[in-house]
Amino acid sequence: MAAMQAGKRRARFSITPYLFISPWALGFLFFTLGPLVFSLTMSFYDWPVVGERTFVGLDNYRTMLMDDPMFWESLGITSRFALIYVPFNIVLSFLLALLLHHARFGVGFFRTAFYLPSVISGVALVMIWNWIYSSEYGLLNYMLSFAGIGPVNWLGDKNLAVVAIIVASLWGLGGTMLILLTGLKGIPRELYEAATVSGVPGWAQMLFITLPMLGPMLVFTFITSIIAAFQQLTIALLLTKGGPQNATYFFAMYIYDNAFKFYEMGYAAAGSWIMFLIVLALSMLVMRWSAAWSYYEGELKSKDGGHDA
Amino acid sequence: MHNAFKRTAGALLALALASSAAFAEQVLRFATWDSDESLAIQQAIAKKFEEAHPGVKVQVEAYGGDGYDQKLAAGFGAGNPPDVMYMWNFPQYHSSLMPLDDLIAKDAAALDIKDIPEGLLNASRIDGKTYGMPAGFTTHVIFYNKDMFAKAGVEEPKEGWTWDDLRAKAAKFRNEADKTYGFAVDAKPDPFDFEQFLWSNGTKYISDDGKTLDGYMNSKEAAEVLDMFGAMAKNQEAATVNVGEVTSASALFKGGKIAMLEGAMWNKSGIDESGVKYGVAYLPAFKGKPVQSAISISAMSIAKDAKEPDLAWEFVKFYTSPEAIAMRKNDLPVRTSVAESQGMTKDPVYKPFFDVLAVSNKERPAFLKNLKWAQIQENLALAIEAAITEQGNAQAHLDEAVKRSQRFLK
Amino acid sequence: MRKLFIHSALTFLAVLFILPFYWTFLSAVKSTAELYQFPPVFWPAEWHFENFLTSWNKLPFNTFLWNSTVVVVLSTIGQLISSSLVAFGFARFRFPGRDALFILLLATMMIPWDVKMIPLYMEFNYLGWINTLKPLIVPSWFADAFFVFMLRQFIMTIPLEIDEAARMDGASSFDIFWRIHLPLMTPALILVGTFHFMNAWNDYLGPLIFLNDQSKYTLTLGLALFKDPHDIDITAVASITTLLCVPPLVLFFFAQRYIMEGAVGSAVKG
Repeated sequence: MAAMQAGKRRARFSITPYLFISPWALGFLFFTLGPLVFSLTMSFYDWPVVGERTFVGLDNYRTMLMDDPMFWESLGITSRFALIYVPFNIVLSFLLALLLHHARFGVGFFRTAFYLPSVISGVALVMIWNWIYSSEYGLLNYMLSFAGIGPVNWLGDKNLAVVAIIVASLWGLGGTMLILLTGLKGIPRELYEAATVSGVPGWAQMLFITLPMLGPMLVFTFITSIIAAFQQLTIALLLTKGGPQNATYFFAMYIYDNAFKFYEMGYAAAGSWIMFLIVLALSMLVMRWSAAWSYYEGELKSKDGGHDA
Repeated sequence: MHNAFKRTAGALLALALASSAAFAEQVLRFATWDSDESLAIQQAIAKKFEEAHPGVKVQVEAYGGDGYDQKLAAGFGAGNPPDVMYMWNFPQYHSSLMPLDDLIAKDAAALDIKDIPEGLLNASRIDGKTYGMPAGFTTHVIFYNKDMFAKAGVEEPKEGWTWDDLRAKAAKFRNEADKTYGFAVDAKPDPFDFEQFLWSNGTKYISDDGKTLDGYMNSKEAAEVLDMFGAMAKNQEAATVNVGEVTSASALFKGGKIAMLEGAMWNKSGIDESGVKYGVAYLPAFKGKPVQSAISISAMSIAKDAKEPDLAWEFVKFYTSPEAIAMRKNDLPVRTSVAESQGMTKDPVYKPFFDVLAVSNKERPAFLKNLKWAQIQENLALAIEAAITEQGNAQAHLDEAVKRSQRFLK
Repeated sequence: MRKLFIHSALTFLAVLFILPFYWTFLSAVKSTAELYQFPPVFWPAEWHFENFLTSWNKLPFNTFLWNSTVVVVLSTIGQLISSSLVAFGFARFRFPGRDALFILLLATMMIPWDVKMIPLYMEFNYLGWINTLKPLIVPSWFADAFFVFMLRQFIMTIPLEIDEAARMDGASSFDIFWRIHLPLMTPALILVGTFHFMNAWNDYLGPLIFLNDQSKYTLTLGLALFKDPHDIDITAVASITTLLCVPPLVLFFFAQRYIMEGAVGSAVKG
């Protein structure tokens, strides 16, 4: 069985795989590598938008790590956000996908409804959430007032503001949900039928069929959620502008401000590189860890065979 | 099916390429931060210029929304800035802008520079050189809702009123049931505009040499200002916006939820459209002290390596000509002659704007004094927000802001 | 019982997800007075449907629509072709440097936009592409990492035996990709197409940085012109937002059936 695995099939060198990946490789050379090297260079300079550029070596990194309280504060805020957002995003998307998977009528309507928020973007998002969270005129407090709950200052309270942003971000989970739903639909029905015949209970089917089969998609959503969490900017920028009192001052906003408010391009580039390395390290960790539990098709086959025999 | 698809794609591609073909005529790029109606005005002025200069196309580039600074940074950073642009951030950009003094001197007669108040020219001077020509400006005033005043039986603001007067009036509008207030306090004001309150109370953010914050930003007078706004929020004389209440103060005013709005020309067209019957009042004073307003100026600058420097200067001159200035309805005319010939200095709606301009040339805004002001301002903004949200304790927050900003003073 | 639970849960959630959209629509058609009324008005006294037309005509939105259409159509086609090729390459071959390259590919997803913005601008400026739609279209023809990653994960769930059988019949790698995988991937490709469509349609930063002239603007840039730091034209923003949502929603409504049914179909056949 092992001989069937993709790799072993082609022992000798072939140009074919490189042709397949060439569009990406060329794009990488043209549109990514250059800018990346350039920004790394920038991060070693005192680089204003216009005027004199001076080489400062590692000074930008040193200042950021040693002298700039905002670096650590914003990094802390982003980490806490990611810690809550990532699991919620995946679990809720998965639950929603499951619900949809088992729904019998109006499925198209529901799918579209859940995806709806992902279609709205930019300026409009801000208006919508302003209206919901506003403490005096907002919909949420209006609803709560019927339950006798007094006006809550959602965006004005340091702790609640982060929650408010997490909820607003989760509202856009339609994309993740879709990816998982597509994954669910792709799991062969026969597996469940066979399991049901053999008397495997529902929870065990979930644990031993659904989750492993969904493995690659779960890894994908895990990693992209981490990336999204760290690059989170738009909602906070528009909704709270980092407030109240910097409680939602995300790391991405810190970089953004350095670049476009303070015009410290080199310093901002250094910040971006730190973010890049953190996210990269986290993703590698997820990949390594997932290799332990996620079954890819190749492995799955041999395991399956074992069961049937 | 397949072929039809291919053909459509081909046609689209061809069109995309064709639309990028260059123009044969002279193109002048002009970048503005205006949007909506103000933008339409800019385009109308540009059109007028094109009519007078056959073969010239003015490409009005509107970097709308909040994208202006980012877009300009990309343009300058990559060495491809617009030829002519609106500019406010002279300290950051002046080394890539064209000094205009020689040009102004050359065209002195036609320009009639004396017609433009000195206070408006000052904001675009760095180290004694002029980098921008004012095209429009605004000062700050109080808008008030005449119907709400009449209904509540409150006397309308009078010349020479003070913040105490404003607070006394504001208290009478508070109604919990329909959520109305007398005024709105912004927890996240633009610090540039906010400095006017410090000026009016006899202090400023930073010393004139740009080297000292201690004793300025955290002075007793500065704390007084913040404590006053904090107290207004606490006593419900004012709604607090931008903290929990993201709805802007101008939106509340337009919706008839607040009776008075501290604002500027950029609020006026929206208020006109909303149909609220309003009056305009002079900024209130701190008891016994002279009022000074922040002045926001749309200044026109030319990039140092503009491809058509002469044409660019022609355009800037046209923009500051009485003809063009008279077309600007969304800000105020920078030429005294235009203001007077249109009767604006007498019109009760416009008069307070001009009255306060006449007394607002004593202080220079902080960002012109220190190159790292943007960073310092972050700490200041935090202190303002904290003081207003906590409704007091301003001194401690300002002290903290000064402390956190020391590293930018070196 | 179970069905009832599922559907009530779905309905409740759907209302939560739709309500804000409904409000956007309401804001577009309400009178100014009702816009700020409290308690909120859920059924306006007068419906100002003419607001849609007025807002659309405030700026040259026909031009913006055309530009957006060109960008979205051309870049989506490129994205589909390039991403599927690359994904197949990574999913079905073992070759020297594959894992390193794949990690590199993943890494490119994590690069913050701020890092690339100015260098990219300089590059496109050098190529003379600034103020054309090319910077918004051409990069899509070079496979986006997110979609490659997504498609690769999909391909990995397709049984290898299918490839083996075809190969024994003498099919080349490209045949296998073209005749077998592409049809099997259709649901995933439609998903990629939908996602990319949405990204390109809603992209704001790209057009903001690379386009100068209003005649080149896309819809999102036009929308942003209703807002400046001091004021926002709520009626106009709400009207245009509502209109902007329609094409992606219609597209999605039709695509999603196909995504799902296609997925089931492929599994059964597989």
